[in-house]
Amino acid sequence: MADESVLTDEFLRQLINVGEVDILVGLPTHNNAKTVGPVVQAIQAGLLRNFPRERAVILNADGGSRDGTSELIAAAAISDVRHMANVRALRTLPCISAQYAGTPETGLALRTILAAAELLRARACAVISPESVNPEPAWVERLLRPIYSDQADFVTPMYRRHKFEGLLMRNLLYPMTRAIYGKRVREPYASEFGFSGGLATQFLKQDVWNHEVGRTGAEMLLTLVSLASGCRVHQTFLGTKAHVERSARDLVPAMRQTVGTLFWSLDTYYPGWSTVVQSQPISTVGCEHDTTLEPVRVNRKRMYDMFRSGVGELSPVFSSILSEPTLAELQKIASQPEDDFRYPAELWVKTAYEFAASYHKSPISRDHIIQALAPLYRGRMFTFLLETKDASAEEVESEVESLCQEFERLKPYLLNNWNSGK
Amino acid sequence: MRDLIVNELSLAYHEFARELARLLPRLIGMVIVVIMGWLIAYVLKAIVRSIMRLARFERLSDNAGTSQLLNRAALPSSTELLSRFVFWVAFLGFILLGVNVLGIVGLQEYVARFFLFLPRLFVALFVIFFGVLAASFFSRAALLAAVNADLPSARLLSNSIRFVIIIFVVSMAFEELGIAEQTILVAFGILFGALMLGLSLAFGLGGKELAHDFLERRLAHRKKEEREDELSPL
Amino acid sequence: MEQDGLWYKDAIIYQVHVRTFFDSNADGIGDFQGLAQKMDYLQELGINTIWLMPFFPSPLRDDGYDISDYRSVHPSYGTLDDFKRFLSDAHQRGIRVIIELVLNHTSDQHPWFMESRSSPDNPRRDWYVWSDTDTRYRGVRIIFLDTEMSNWAWDPISKAYYWHRFFSHQPDLNYDNPAVREEMWDVMKFWLNFGVDGFRLDAVPYLVEREGTSCENLPETHAVIKELRGKLDKEFPGKLLLAEANQWPADLRPYFGNGDEFHMAFHFPLMPRMFMALKLEDRKPITEILQQTPEIPPSCQWCLFLRNHDELTLEMVTDMERDYMYDVFAGNKAMRLNLGIRRRLAPLLDNDRRRIELMNGMLMSMPGTPIIYYGDEIGMGDNIFLGDRNGVRTPMQWNGGWNAGFSTADPEGLYSPLILNPVYGYQSINVLSQRRFEHSLLSWMQRMIRVRRSIPAFGRGTIEFLYPANHRVLAYVRQLGGETILVVNNLSSSAQAVELDLRRFKGNILIELFGRNIFPRAGDLPYLLTMGPYQFYWFRLRRI
Repeated sequence: MADESVLTDEFLRQLINVGEVDILVGLPTHNNAKTVGPVVQAIQAGLLRNFPRERAVILNADGGSRDGTSELIAAAAISDVRHMANVRALRTLPCISAQYAGTPETGLALRTILAAAELLRARACAVISPESVNPEPAWVERLLRPIYSDQADFVTPMYRRHKFEGLLMRNLLYPMTRAIYGKRVREPYASEFGFSGGLATQFLKQDVWNHEVGRTGAEMLLTLVSLASGCRVHQTFLGTKAHVERSARDLVPAMRQTVGTLFWSLDTYYPGWSTVVQSQPISTVGCEHDTTLEPVRVNRKRMYDMFRSGVGELSPVFSSILSEPTLAELQKIASQPEDDFRYPAELWVKTAYEFAASYHKSPISRDHIIQALAPLYRGRMFTFLLETKDASAEEVESEVESLCQEFERLKPYLLNNWNSGK
Repeated sequence: MRDLIVNELSLAYHEFARELARLLPRLIGMVIVVIMGWLIAYVLKAIVRSIMRLARFERLSDNAGTSQLLNRAALPSSTELLSRFVFWVAFLGFILLGVNVLGIVGLQEYVARFFLFLPRLFVALFVIFFGVLAASFFSRAALLAAVNADLPSARLLSNSIRFVIIIFVVSMAFEELGIAEQTILVAFGILFGALMLGLSLAFGLGGKELAHDFLERRLAHRKKEEREDELSPL
Repeated sequence: MEQDGLWYKDAIIYQVHVRTFFDSNADGIGDFQGLAQKMDYLQELGINTIWLMPFFPSPLRDDGYDISDYRSVHPSYGTLDDFKRFLSDAHQRGIRVIIELVLNHTSDQHPWFMESRSSPDNPRRDWYVWSDTDTRYRGVRIIFLDTEMSNWAWDPISKAYYWHRFFSHQPDLNYDNPAVREEMWDVMKFWLNFGVDGFRLDAVPYLVEREGTSCENLPETHAVIKELRGKLDKEFPGKLLLAEANQWPADLRPYFGNGDEFHMAFHFPLMPRMFMALKLEDRKPITEILQQTPEIPPSCQWCLFLRNHDELTLEMVTDMERDYMYDVFAGNKAMRLNLGIRRRLAPLLDNDRRRIELMNGMLMSMPGTPIIYYGDEIGMGDNIFLGDRNGVRTPMQWNGGWNAGFSTADPEGLYSPLILNPVYGYQSINVLSQRRFEHSLLSWMQRMIRVRRSIPAFGRGTIEFLYPANHRVLAYVRQLGGETILVVNNLSSSAQAVELDLRRFKGNILIELFGRNIFPRAGDLPYLLTMGPYQFYWFRLRRI
């Protein structure tokens, strides 16, 4: 059942006025006035074009914006109160905007959207990021149609990206989720996705919302819960990924949200994933790996330096986490000069798995384990960038694919480490 | 005259025997108490050990880094150590109780004082243990943050934090135990003050450029070289 | 009959075809004597105006709209005397009678046309619109799309084309000819002299044609109407002209002129939107069309209806809306005709009593004069297997016996088959059984009409919409003088909670009009109403 304390009285009143819907589109926002206007217009256009007869609602879960975000969203409503000259719509399209109680966090916003989806008995729902740079009306169709026609329970996006972007996703999250949960979901951490009403109820029942991970890593968690509970997961191509202004310094928070959530989920869903042997492809609409290749300057040296200093300074921490052979290997490659340095795939896989197992046993604080992984990931990033410096899109893809195979091949290694005492 | 000596001696002997006879039950009582005490202390030790195991104390102390410390000093594990400590404290307590039973007046006061001292001892140990835990946690947090933020001499920062916290905690423990209270207090105050003063001088004067760069990086526009590295990880 | 110049604002109109109502002479066709015998029923129902569909002599190829004699009664329905007797009986009961007058065209069997076509020199040649080619007035839309290919028909007798906006056997009269206009006024006088209370003028937008236009709603057409109205007001004050013009509200407005053309006109675009709003469970279609409806002169009035003898027309909706209406109301393509749906009220609403009541409630409370189509007051069904629009023109079902009590003739000899299925057939739906029960649809309609007639604000008052946040609820306030009525309709099939902003009416007690129970007072806080599926409330707001 939806937890009522998530919904304020005012929000509940608005939900009462909306009534039952077939489609719900959620927008979690916090001070996004610069970008949310085109997004909500694209959603409105998408709904009118692709679902003209369905009862729909655009729902904004706002964390207390002060820049007029909520007003911008309410302007997209279609009703008989305001006369809209160019819009031809069969039905009223409510756009409700309500603040959730608490500090602004995507986890809380998502939980509000899920609760509303359950109370309004929506059949198909989608969450769209208010920071999308080129929103298209077609996104609504692509995310919702598989669910509305009852072929899928959860739809994840795929993006066109530069070959050097999203390396954490391609080097760790995608291969590891694929190897562990057995489904080839390219973007397990999605800021845009679609889900069915039934799945919303299931999400709400999970006992994660009171944990830290429920607040910071909710997007990733939804994907993992779907995979773990055997739902039908599809993926659909949306377009160019919005280039969000994020510096490499934000690596640690990003890792907390994604890698931390992934590791956390291994505890809860162990009975499910431990028996999965091979990964299966999932139903995909559109191109799976569209990469752009324009030249971009990267500061590889810095990554190398941080890797080296990390291995050097953090060895007492690593000795609590990694096995001795692995740590020795790492120290060996750290001693190599930059030109010869290489972080081989197999070592990276072992590193990742040992970290996962160590997270499970938590000899030290779990947050520290995640932070400790960051410098090692930088080393891996260095190697990946070097190897794909002049690569074409297909070559990049085959690199990623071979890394995935390596993760799958070494899964028993994870299981061994998981069960052994340390 | 021989008879007198024999008489006195036998009187003294009788006196002694009587005293002994009077003392004997108390002595027996003391032995009983001590034996019982040993048994109880043993049971207590076993109980403490199982509680520790249930509470996964070992892991906590691993976390605190005390296991490594003990290992290096060739001492047994912390659970073992703690349970043995409990054993000996309990046993000692009972011995003293036994001595009390003996009824030797002067000793009773000392016995009382010992028992009064015990809680403070436990508190001090408690403070030290959790202090070490906190020191290890915060020093590790600082280390990781520094490494990930690419700050130089991360190890130094981490160790200094650990050092400061340990010193602080030990001072607190000593104060609790009442050992050289004022000395410790003053020494700590001087040390801490000097440390802070030194740091501010160093940072303010010597590290002027570094501070300037640091602040600039944080608050003003970033330099172009750094922007190259802005690949989004997700 | 009292002479009240604005009587039509308080009218409740009953639309009936004499052929369908009651057969007094066992020939299988209803007639005026039969209709006269059923006036008790109509008086009991509570209506105060009858609109008679065309009963003039006609070859009946378009259900009487193809007229071959304007000054007589079709022999199947009786004589002129029968009509006169019926009319005076109605007037004695306080019921007015409006008849149909088809101005735009006649039957090709009409003597006028026979003369006109006989030769180019005939004096009546110019009474119709002739042409040597079929290329004039190019691009003008065809109205009966399912049967006609062109607006011109070739006449082999006069070897020329004649103009017809409707069926090819209904040639259009030429209103540029003053003789035609004079004749039609004479026809009107003929009937007015009997005492008829008004005319429904059929197909008025199409009277005049001009090259390069859509040949609809032309200024010349309005001039003709103004001329007729001028004469009417002078010689027969208090008589009604009702326009049948299937146009968007903005295009309908000119037909009221400055109060110098029609008194009333049908609000065609509202009707399909009421059905659509019910299916969508969203008030938006209704409020939007009424927002777009222009103000009309104070002496004029809209005519509202749910269904009529024609198809439920979907001409005045967008393509998207039409597709939606077809899909939800006329899944079987046989139900679709000429951009409309040929079904009666009850089948359109799935015979759902609650929905039928709600639609009638809206009909009676929205601004305009309501029209009840015969048979809909008992919930009659239709027969889509009869051709054209005859499925909604079956005999009135009076009882469960021989021919539903409509006629004593042979069942095979009736002008139309009866409805026989177990749901809508005459054995289950008939006047006799419904009169016996207090909870029948008929009894409910009688009560509803009684309440409606007791409140002048419905017919003559202003309307103001409230826009509650719950878009499934349609709420509006009717006001006349000191009387204020609040109407709240739940368009949804499920229970709804709605909060109304009644701050303007603060301090008023709400009195529900059917049960006359008091409801809480209106105040500053939002007024919460909880409503069952398809429920509606009429409240009088009273300050004591």
